[in-house]
Amino acid sequence: MFKNHLKIAWRSLRKQPFLSVLNTLGLAIGIAGTLLICLYIYDELTYDRMFADAERIHRINVDMKFGGPDKQVSQVSGPMAAAVLQDIPQVEQTLRFRPWGTASLSRADSKELVLENNTAFADSTLIDMLGLKVLYGNPKDALSGPNKLLLTKSAAEKHFNLSDAVGQEVVFNESQTYTVSGVIEDLPKNSFLSTYSVFMSMLSHQDQNVNWGNHNYNTFIKLKPNTDPEDIAAPLQGMVEKYLIPYAQEFFPGITLEQFEASGNYVRYSTIPLVDIHLHSNREADMSQNSDYKDIYILSFIALFLILLASINFMNLSTAYSLKRSKEVGIRKTLGSNKMTLVRQFLTESGLMTFGSMVIGIALVIVVLPYFNDLANKSIAFPYLNPVFWGILLLSVLILGLFSGSYPAFFMSRFVPIRVLKGTGENTVGGSKLRSTLVVFQFVVSVFLIIGTLVVSQQLQFIQNKDLGYEKDQVLLVNNVNRLGSELPAFKERVKSLAQVGNASLSGFLPTPSYRTDSSYFLEGKMNQESAINMQGWQVDFDYINTLGLKMQAGRTFDPSITTDSSAVIINESALAVMQMEPEEALGKRIFNGIGEEGFSHFTIVGVVKNFHFESMRNQIRPLALHIGNSSGLMAIKLKSGNFEGAIAQIQTLWDATAPGIAFDYEFMDDSFDRVYQNERRLGTIFIIFTSLSIFIACLGLFGLAAFNAQKRIKEIGVRKVLGASVSQITYRLSFDFLKLVFIAILAAVPIGWIAMDRWLQDFTYRIDIGWTVFVLAALLASGIAILTVSYQSIKAAVMNPVKSLRTE
Amino acid sequence: MIQIKNLKKSFRTEEVETLALNNVNLKVEEGEFVAIMGPSGCGKSTLLNIIGMLDNPTEGSYNFAGHEVAGLRESQRTQLRKGNLGFVFQSFNLIDELTVFENVELPLIYLKMSKSERKEKVMAVLERMKIAHRKNHFPQQLSGGQQQRVAISRAVVTNPKLILADEPTGNLDSKNGIEVMNLLTELNQEGTTIVMVTHSDRDSHYAHRVVNLFDGQIVTESQNRAIGAII
Repeated sequence: MFKNHLKIAWRSLRKQPFLSVLNTLGLAIGIAGTLLICLYIYDELTYDRMFADAERIHRINVDMKFGGPDKQVSQVSGPMAAAVLQDIPQVEQTLRFRPWGTASLSRADSKELVLENNTAFADSTLIDMLGLKVLYGNPKDALSGPNKLLLTKSAAEKHFNLSDAVGQEVVFNESQTYTVSGVIEDLPKNSFLSTYSVFMSMLSHQDQNVNWGNHNYNTFIKLKPNTDPEDIAAPLQGMVEKYLIPYAQEFFPGITLEQFEASGNYVRYSTIPLVDIHLHSNREADMSQNSDYKDIYILSFIALFLILLASINFMNLSTAYSLKRSKEVGIRKTLGSNKMTLVRQFLTESGLMTFGSMVIGIALVIVVLPYFNDLANKSIAFPYLNPVFWGILLLSVLILGLFSGSYPAFFMSRFVPIRVLKGTGENTVGGSKLRSTLVVFQFVVSVFLIIGTLVVSQQLQFIQNKDLGYEKDQVLLVNNVNRLGSELPAFKERVKSLAQVGNASLSGFLPTPSYRTDSSYFLEGKMNQESAINMQGWQVDFDYINTLGLKMQAGRTFDPSITTDSSAVIINESALAVMQMEPEEALGKRIFNGIGEEGFSHFTIVGVVKNFHFESMRNQIRPLALHIGNSSGLMAIKLKSGNFEGAIAQIQTLWDATAPGIAFDYEFMDDSFDRVYQNERRLGTIFIIFTSLSIFIACLGLFGLAAFNAQKRIKEIGVRKVLGASVSQITYRLSFDFLKLVFIAILAAVPIGWIAMDRWLQDFTYRIDIGWTVFVLAALLASGIAILTVSYQSIKAAVMNPVKSLRTE
Repeated sequence: MIQIKNLKKSFRTEEVETLALNNVNLKVEEGEFVAIMGPSGCGKSTLLNIIGMLDNPTEGSYNFAGHEVAGLRESQRTQLRKGNLGFVFQSFNLIDELTVFENVELPLIYLKMSKSERKEKVMAVLERMKIAHRKNHFPQQLSGGQQQRVAISRAVVTNPKLILADEPTGNLDSKNGIEVMNLLTELNQEGTTIVMVTHSDRDSHYAHRVVNLFDGQIVTESQNRAIGAII
């Protein structure tokens, strides 16, 4: 019986190639899109789960306020790890990282430098706690003493034969010599360590600020089995009174926890499971670029929409075209077929089509996956050999086939034989209302997605074009200038004297991603913790403000001819607001920076700089203090308009003359700026792609329905033409019915889109207002696409010779 | 009114070319009632469609009221057809979704007539065809005879010079058939030219003249003496 069903199914699919192709294609695209999103989401959800006992590993976070705005940080003080291990019995093991950013490596016997993007000091527990696979070397020994270093396979291969690597010496940042004590497998792409390639033993880290006041260590703890993280919350918070307050008393003699908190300050410790970090941690000093769980929700919705749209298409087209088969149903019933046999017959057909769609969909995914990986910055592999994947996929496709096929099957099997055979069936068979409703639903989804896409891209545009308060264009950033050592000031002067160069400044602190450090400042005469002001404190040089085009609100910029400017400070408007002062009032006031090895250093406010954005526009601009100092990680060079390549070549020539053998590494500041919004941009692109897909699917359905409608009304069109209707009148008539549905959909989608996108925008401190133009544009786009889709069929029907259409009687 | 010279019409399918009309010459004067007869497939309907400007001849000339029709573009044919021609079909070809009134009103809408004028004309013709009491019904709610009366109403509502009828009684019983033929005769007597395709000997006797087609050619033409005196 089933074989017979299959045979008939295959024949009827071939008999209606137009319908079969539309149905299969729509469903295949829907399946491919949904599958891609599912693979993406799966990848995001499985972050960091590959590590040993990952669900027992947690990171200690701190939320604190100590003057200035509150901060959420993913790093805690250096002594914390030892303290929790000693004081909290549920803690089994701890692991600290001190990320050290980009560094150069060279073999001890070679001058050739290789840059590694991400390096970190790590405790010796690294391998054991995370269960990393050591390819060469003794796992126990790897980071157990000073000057030991661990390389990933890729990093090691750049310098040595893998098997020889262990025991070799490498020079780190051209200063410190380390011995390679182990080579590990490259770190999985979907882990928080994916970008790290070099780990130095923590024991070699010379940190003068290992105290409870500095928060510089990403600290992980492994809890004993069956420990509820809630159980350690209280003892963890107890660290404040036990260790932090005694430390604070060195600066504020006699201060108690109560006094500290009474002034509105606080320090709160908490933990986050390792496996939650990727989607739920948006903190300062995260070790990797994290995603937002909200994006996962958004993508899940899009995936659901895609498959729903494709399934609706399937139902709509199948029921519409079933009218053509009403005669077949009538005859089968007359000859004794019962309802269930017919249902099975039609389900076999839809099953066959769904299966075909799945095969095509999978093929599409395999073809597209490399491009998608590029776009999404992932390395998702198609899970060819994963039986669970195939099981879920087949089950989902089976459900999809049943879901999409059941309505048409039951719908068709209900035909009353006498009516359909007499030919009055067409008019008595219902279902067109449901079809209209489904079309409306499809377009609600499409219009909503269009609105979403427009808002996301407008917000991105806004960020791109917003006055940042500094000039990021035509600024060249040269990396690793501290390599030039004592030659650096001379190099800078030589660069400045080039005709193509407007100005140049040395500082590791830039508005685009670069160094950050903050500490507490006090106004003179208010040396108590209630009046502490937490600010970013950046060391810059005399050319900094001019090079970046910062604008002064009051006072003056740094002046090399004024000797006291070595202790001058320029604050931004946010800092002024925290001090609750007018600009003129602040000028000449002295502030103290309380934390530093040489104790208190004082600065005199000589100017107030207008606020400029140095963090993502999701956040407020924080208080900032600029003072003269040596921080020579980067050199910013403002170029004059014209031949950039020529200018860069000239600078490189100077560089090569000054520092032969050291690579000249640069980028443009606007590229660096773009990286801040990489996630948003990626989301925007993904949005656009899947929105287009869903519109395409909706249009396939509309196209099929329009064809069906034109066919059904072929007699009417003929009669109207005989009676004198013009082609345009008929086209309008045929198209109008569909456009009416699209119009209803627009009305429904606009409020939903407005509410949803308004909520999305709330995440940005600096954001656009959603204007009416977005909705008009979305409406025009949707109806424009619908008109194009429908009018093709309508015009085709309208220009047909009425003699032909009337002959079909 | 109608002058057809050396008219040819061929249809081409994938393999064969069929000559539906071969060298047809026909003249119809104003006020005439002409019946076209012949066996199935002889080209009657093709000829009627060309006369009705629904189709273009492959060769030859067709002059309608002083206008050469052969070779006109579709939009030009539509323009010439509007208001000048009325159609009556065997299967009525009423639009199921429209009421009786709306069906009859349709050609007037395409003539861009005002609403009040349309109402007046439609009601007048429905009264005359004795179907006004059914004006708000849909076609399926009517009997065959009633449906054909609506179709004739629709054909004459624009006061056309020429009515083309394609087996107007083919789907009707004899009582309703006679009624329809009497209506057509009445219209003819008022001056409307009628060209009718029929299989029925009885119906052909209502015409002034009978043209016999066979294999795409006119084989005989005969004048009827006793108009309307049959049965």
